[in-house]
Amino acid sequence: MIDTVELLFFLEVLIGGLLAGVMYSLVALGFVLIYKASRVFNFAQGAMVFFAVLSFVGFMELGLPFWAAFLVTVALMILVGMTTERLVLRQLVNQSDQTLLMATIGLAFVFEGMGQLIWGVEVRRLDLGIPDVPLEWVLDSTGMFISALDISAGVVAAVMVTVLAILFSKTKIGLGLRAVADGHAAAMSIGIPLKSIWMIVWATAGVVALVAGMMWGARNGVQFALVWLALKAWPVLIIGGFTSVPGVIVAGLMVGAIEKVAEVYIGPAFGGGIEGWAPYMMAVVFLMFRPEGLFGERMIRRV
Amino acid sequence: MNVTTAIQAATRAFAIGGPILELDSISLRFGGVKALTNISFNICEHEIRAIIGPNGAGKSSMINVINGIYTPQEGEVRFRGERLGAMTPQRAARMGISRTFQNIALFKRMSVLDNIMAGRTLQTRATFLDVAFRTPRSRREELESREKAEEIIEFLEIEDVRKTQVAKLPYGLQKRVELGRALAAEPKLLLLDEPMAGMNVEEKQDMCRFILDVNENYGTTIVLIEHDMGVVMDISDRVVVLDYGKKIGDGPPEEVKRNQEVIDAYLGVAH
Amino acid sequence: MQSVGTGATTGARRSAPRGEALPQHAAGSGETFARLLRSNASRLADRPAYREKHRGIWRTTTWRALARDVDILAAALAGRGLKRGDHVAFLGENRPRLYAGVAAAHALGAVAMPLFPDATGPEIAPMLRLAGVTHAFVEDQEQVDKLLAILPECPALRCIVYDRERSMRPYRNPELVSYAALVEEGRAAAERSGDLVSRAIEAGDGGDAAFVFLNSGASGASHAAVLSHGGLIARARAAAAAERLSPADSTIAYLPPGWMGQAIFAYAQPMAVGYCVCCPESSETLLSDMREIAPTCFLTTPRMLDTIFSQVALRMEAAGGVNLALFNRAVALARRLGRRRLAGEPVGAAERMSAALYDAVVYGPLRDALGMSRVKVAYTSGDAVDPSILAFFRALGVNLKQLYGTTESGFLVAIQRDGAVRPDTVGAPLDGVETRISPDGEILVRAEGLFLGYLGDGDGRSVDAEGWLRTGDLGSLGADGQLRVADRAGDIGVLACGAAFAPRPIENRIKASPYVREAVVVGDGRDGVIALIDVNTTSVGRWADTHEIAFSGHRDLAGQDRVYDLVAGVLADINAELARDPATAPCVVRRFALLPEELSADDGVLTRTGKIRRTVFAQRFAPLIEAAYAGRSSASLAAREAEGSMAAGVDEVKIRDAALAPADRRAA
Repeated sequence: MIDTVELLFFLEVLIGGLLAGVMYSLVALGFVLIYKASRVFNFAQGAMVFFAVLSFVGFMELGLPFWAAFLVTVALMILVGMTTERLVLRQLVNQSDQTLLMATIGLAFVFEGMGQLIWGVEVRRLDLGIPDVPLEWVLDSTGMFISALDISAGVVAAVMVTVLAILFSKTKIGLGLRAVADGHAAAMSIGIPLKSIWMIVWATAGVVALVAGMMWGARNGVQFALVWLALKAWPVLIIGGFTSVPGVIVAGLMVGAIEKVAEVYIGPAFGGGIEGWAPYMMAVVFLMFRPEGLFGERMIRRV
Repeated sequence: MNVTTAIQAATRAFAIGGPILELDSISLRFGGVKALTNISFNICEHEIRAIIGPNGAGKSSMINVINGIYTPQEGEVRFRGERLGAMTPQRAARMGISRTFQNIALFKRMSVLDNIMAGRTLQTRATFLDVAFRTPRSRREELESREKAEEIIEFLEIEDVRKTQVAKLPYGLQKRVELGRALAAEPKLLLLDEPMAGMNVEEKQDMCRFILDVNENYGTTIVLIEHDMGVVMDISDRVVVLDYGKKIGDGPPEEVKRNQEVIDAYLGVAH
Repeated sequence: MQSVGTGATTGARRSAPRGEALPQHAAGSGETFARLLRSNASRLADRPAYREKHRGIWRTTTWRALARDVDILAAALAGRGLKRGDHVAFLGENRPRLYAGVAAAHALGAVAMPLFPDATGPEIAPMLRLAGVTHAFVEDQEQVDKLLAILPECPALRCIVYDRERSMRPYRNPELVSYAALVEEGRAAAERSGDLVSRAIEAGDGGDAAFVFLNSGASGASHAAVLSHGGLIARARAAAAAERLSPADSTIAYLPPGWMGQAIFAYAQPMAVGYCVCCPESSETLLSDMREIAPTCFLTTPRMLDTIFSQVALRMEAAGGVNLALFNRAVALARRLGRRRLAGEPVGAAERMSAALYDAVVYGPLRDALGMSRVKVAYTSGDAVDPSILAFFRALGVNLKQLYGTTESGFLVAIQRDGAVRPDTVGAPLDGVETRISPDGEILVRAEGLFLGYLGDGDGRSVDAEGWLRTGDLGSLGADGQLRVADRAGDIGVLACGAAFAPRPIENRIKASPYVREAVVVGDGRDGVIALIDVNTTSVGRWADTHEIAFSGHRDLAGQDRVYDLVAGVLADINAELARDPATAPCVVRRFALLPEELSADDGVLTRTGKIRRTVFAQRFAPLIEAAYAGRSSASLAAREAEGSMAAGVDEVKIRDAALAPADRRAA
C-alpha cells in the first residue's frame, strides 16, 4: 500500500517535471531555429519571450479581447522578427561569431528596454482562463496533484513542437532551412531564397517566444525574471545539441524531469535549491563527454 | 543485299541552335582590380561551351556573372533574348540556370537522395498545409520529385550510395552528386565550375562521359570552366579562352588550339 | 520518337529461311517453356514471376503479365521475321525483359543464345555467325555498339532490340528497335495476326532446341552446345523436387545470363516450378538488394563466396575493437563446427551452446546483413569451393551446397543432399541421371537432357553408342553414391619428383585470403610449385591505407615490398597446412610473384566465368615462370596493352621465395 502511494508521488513529481520540461524545450526551440539557419547564437531569445508576453498582456489591458490580443501580438512578433533580421543580422552577414553574439546581446537589451518603456515595469498577472489548480478527476482517482495549467501548457507546447517539426522537416521551407544550414552558396544555386528563409525563421522564433512567454507568464506572472528563462534553456541546448530539434525536445523533458525529481528526492540532503543548478551540472557533464549533445552533429574539421 | 552497316551515329540528338545566352562587353571590377575586361561571347542552345584559361584568368568570375552572384559594372547579359538587369542566383535558378561549384557545395549532412531532391526546390509548389495534411498535391509532388531524383541517380550510376550521407563519399562521387543536384532542376543551362578539378584520370573520363550524356540525352546547354585544356578540347563544341580577364580566343577547339595567343598564354604563363 | 524500320521494310529484307533442317511438327508433344509459361499464367496468375529493382523500387511482373508481354513480343518478333529454328542472341544483365525476350523466342520455336554481357565483339562475332543469329536483345548502348561494329561479319543479323534508351537517340540504323517500340509493334501485330503465336506454341516440341550455351572453354576454345526444352525442364524439375522448391520460393539472379547455371536458375527452373526471380538494380547494389529480397534459394560461385567473405571480414576489421574480436571468435568457431559437421563428427554440448550464443549475436545478424536469413538452399557451382569457405557459410546457418554439372551434361547432374553435405564430394546424381567412372577416371553421365550437339558440328557429340557423355572431369564415385570431382582432366599434373600435383585446391586456399583475387600455381613437370598471384586492389588498397603506404594504382600496389610481405604471410600459413599432409607436402609453394595487371577475360587469360585458361596463362607469363624456376629475383614482362597515349611498357616483376614454415606475422 505504501509502495503505491510512493509510486504515485514519484509519478506526480515526474509528470510535473516533464510538463515544465516541454516548456523549456519550447524556449530552446527558438534558439535552435535561428542557430540552424544562420549559425547565430541568439542571446536575445529570452528577451523576446519577455517582450512578446509583455506586449500580449499590454494589448489585453488596452481592452482587446483575448484572441484579438493574441493575433495582434503574433503579427507584432512576426514583424519584430523580420525587422530584426533585416536591420541587424542581414547587415552582419559573414561577420565573425563573436560579432553576431555581441549583436544579439545588444538586441536583448533593446527588447527588454523597449518592452518596459512601452508597457511599464510592474509585474502583471496573466489569466489564460485556465486555473492553476489540480485536475480533480486525477486527484480523485489517483490522489496525484497535476495542475490543469501545466497540462494545458504541455499540450500547447507539444502541438507547437509538432507543427514546427512538420514545417521544418517536410516542407520546402524546412528543406530550405536544412540546405541553408549546410551551405549558403549551394542553397542559393538551387533557388532557395536565403533572405526569405532567414526572415521566416526569425518570425517563427518570435511566435515561439510568444507562446513560451504566455505559458510561463500564466504560471509565474509576467515579469522581468522571464528574461532569465533563457538561462534555463542553455543546459537544454547543450544537452540536446544546438542544431537538433528532436534533441532539444528530449533534452527539455530530461532537464525538467531530473531537476524536479532531484529537488524532491536528493534536494533535502543539500538543503534544497538543487533545482536551480542540477541542469547546469548535467550540461557540464555533457560538455565533458558528449559536447555535440544528444543528437547534435559532431564537429569534424578536416584539413 | 543491304551492306550499309556502319554505325550511323554521327548525327546529334539535339542540333545546336541559335544563341541562348549572350554576353555583351562585360567588365567586372573589384575595387581597383579588373577581373573581366570587355568580354563578349555567346552560348548557343544545346552546345557544350568551355571557358578555359590559366589560373586567375577570370573564369570563375565569368561564371559568377552568368549566375548572378556578381553584377558587372559594364555590359549586358541576355538570356533567351531577355535582358538581365539585377540578376541574383535565385533568379538564375528560376530561369533555368543550374550550376556546380569548384569546391563542392553540397548539403553534406543530407543523403545523396535528399541532396538531389533538394535540387527540385523550385519545381515544388506544396504549401505547409498541403504537407501537414498530405493532400494529393503534396503526395503527387513528392512522388514526382522522387521519380525524377531516381532517374538522375540511375543516369549517374550512383544507385549504391543513394542513402549515404554525402560527407562520407569520396571526392569524385561528391562531384557527381553535385552534378545530379544541378540536373534535378531540369535546367536549360548548366554551369559547371571545374567539374574535373582534383580528379584522377579515370574519374575525369567518367565525368566527361556524364557531361556528354547530359547534353546528348536532355539537350542541356552546358558551360564548363576548365583549367585542364586536354579534357575540354575533346568534349566541347566551342571554347572561349580567357587570360588576365581578357578574351584571347573563341571558336571550335581545333581552331583555338592553333591560336598563337592561346599557345603563348598556356606555355608562357606559369600556371 | 525513334525512327526505326517498320515491320514492312524489315519483312522485305527477309533472308533465306533457316531452320528447315529441323523437323517441323504440326502439333508438338512434350513440354516446352512456352507451354509452361501459359500454364503458369493460369495456375499462378498473380503470383510474382520476376521482380526488378528499378529506380529504387522493386517492380513486380506477375506470371499473367509476363505471359501477356511475351505474347505481344512474340507477335512483334514474328512480324520482324523470326521463325522456328532461328537463333536469337541475348546480351545483357539479368532483367525481366531479357527473359521475356527469351520466352518470346521460345514461343515462336526459336533458339535462345544468351551471351556474356562483358564479352567483346570479336568474341561474339564467330558465335553469331555460326548460329546464323537473326535477332538480338541487348541491354544498352554499349551492347548496341558492340553488335553494330560486328554487323558486317554477321549478315543474318537483322534486328537488334535494345532495352535502355539512354544515349540511343542519335542512332538511325534500320536494324535497331527499342524494347518499348517493339512492344507497341507487337500490340498492333497481335491484332492482325490473330492466333499466330498460339499456333506456334502448339507446334513446339519437347525435343526442340531451346538454348545454345557457350561452354566455358577452360581447356581451349568455347563451343556452342545446344540444349532442348524437354531436357532442361526434366532436370530443373528433378533438382527442384530434391529441394522441395515451390512457387513460394524466390531467387536472386546476378551472375551472367550467358552462364548456363544462371539461365537455369533465372529461367528454366522458375518456369518449371513457378518461383520468383529477383533482379538486382546493379552489381554495386547487389548486397543491399539481396538484403531487401532475402531470397530462399540462389546460385552462386566460389569466387562470389570469396568476395562476400572478404567483404565481411574487411568490414569487421574496419569496425575493430570488441566487434572484431567477437567476429573472429565466431568465425573460428563457425569454421571448426562447420568442418566437424561436414566430416560427420559429433559436436559437444558446450560448443553447441556457444554456437547458439553466437547465433544470437553474430551469425543471425550476419545472415540478415547478407540477405541470407531466409535461404532454404544455396548452391555453389562452376568450380571447386574452398572447404573453409563452405564450412563458414554452413556454420553461419546457410544451407550452402555444391552442385555439379557441365554445359554438355545439362548442368544439373549432382547435388549435395540435406544431411549429406561433405566438403570432398559434389553430392549424389539427381533422379533420372546416371553417372559412371570410365576406366581412365573420367566422369561419364547418361540422362535425359544431355546436350543435342555442338552448333556447326552436328555429329560431333562426345556421347557414345550407349548414351554416355564424357564430361572431361576426373572423379570417382563412392560406395555411398557420392560423386567426387578431382580436377579438370587436363589440369592434374606431376611434379618432377613424381608427386601428384592438383593445382586447384592450392589455388582455392590462396584465394580464400581476402587480399587475393586470383591465384595460379604452376608445377607440372617442374621441380616444385610456384604461385603467381593477383592481389585484390580494393582490400589490399585499404590495408595499404591503414598502414600508411602510398600507392598510385594496381600496378604500383602489386610491386610494393610490403604487399609482398603481406602475401608471403598468407602463403606461409598455407604452406604449413600443405606440409602437414604427406600427400600435399611436395606441393608447398616455393616461390611467388604478384602480377602487375589484374587478370582479365578480355585478353583470354580467364574465361567469361572467371576460370583460368592455363595454356593461355602459361604463354602470357612464360618469362615470369621461367625466371622463377631459374631462381632469379625478378623478370621483365611486357605490359598487356598501351594505355592511353603511353607506349607499351615493360613491367619489372619481383619474385620472392615463400616461407616453408609459418612466419610470425604479428611480429611485423
